[in-house]
Amino acid sequence: MSLFEAIRNAAAVVLVCTGSFFFLVGTLGLIRFPDFYSRTHGATKCDTVGAGSILLGLALLRGLHADVLKILAIISLVLLTSPTAGHALARAAYRTGLRPWTRLVGGGGGDAD
Amino acid sequence: MKRALVIALLAAVAMPLLLAAARMPRFGSVEQPAYTHVARRYLERGAEEAGAENIVTGVILNYRGFDTNGEVTVIFTACAAVAAVLACSGEGRRPVRAGTPVALSPVVRYVVRLLAPFIALFAFYVVVFGEVSPGGGFQGGTVFGALIIVTTVVVGRDEAERLSPERPRLWLQAAGPLSFLAVGTVGALLTGWYLGFPHVPRAIAASMLMALEFGIGVGGAMVLAGIFWRLGDEA
Repeated sequence: MSLFEAIRNAAAVVLVCTGSFFFLVGTLGLIRFPDFYSRTHGATKCDTVGAGSILLGLALLRGLHADVLKILAIISLVLLTSPTAGHALARAAYRTGLRPWTRLVGGGGGDAD
Repeated sequence: MKRALVIALLAAVAMPLLLAAARMPRFGSVEQPAYTHVARRYLERGAEEAGAENIVTGVILNYRGFDTNGEVTVIFTACAAVAAVLACSGEGRRPVRAGTPVALSPVVRYVVRLLAPFIALFAFYVVVFGEVSPGGGFQGGTVFGALIIVTTVVVGRDEAERLSPERPRLWLQAAGPLSFLAVGTVGALLTGWYLGFPHVPRAIAASMLMALEFGIGVGGAMVLAGIFWRLGDEA
């Protein structure tokens, strides 16, 4: 294995691990965060940072190949759609009157634990 | 007396059924007829016999065409039932024409407009390449139905309904069963049986399958959109 390949593999491993970490954290946030807005925030991190860096790592592993273009197309699709969906959800909730959770208000019943 | 008669009758019916059940192969056993006859035939001869390289497509549309014909009819019936229930639940029920209560975000509008052609292309691809790769009419139709729904969110209900007038829309919603009826008639003319699939020449079978895929796709998409629109009606 040449030095270049070693560096490439290491970078890919780091990217994929970062993506997996963000998936874990985002899912944890989806379950544990106190209200709708913060949960939406957590869930969208899975798709953008998580899937984005995993796919980037896979593209790095593939090297110079036509598949890399497909992976880049998927990345741009994910980066476009996921934040848009999160934005639409949060905006619809805010415009229809859902109040964000704050510690002072103590709403949402989530500050007990 | 009557009760004893009922019990005797039940026992007489239950005995052969239980005996038959006891003689069936174990659940999941490789000795089952489904594994020893049907599946082997599908896997060995499916590609050349069914007119589709994708064995799943071959099984769904060709070997089990009658079953899929029923499924497509069920989907259309579901749409008709939703429309009927909502139409009956209020006398002077009119669609709301005021638009959504929340103003549409320019971000959503822009992204949907940007992606709509790609989604449409993908739906078409999934339908057409269902023959050789995972996909087919049901899947492609669902993608296209989602596109219609998301476009309705952006352009508004008024514009969306104006683009698909009532009369052709009803026919399009019935496209699944209608395409099966048409293809089945063609098969009957060629072979003497409805659909007539194992005996239809391979070249014609492929185009018949494609017609079915498109019928299922268009019908499924319009049914999804129709249910979405009806649910948007308010009393």
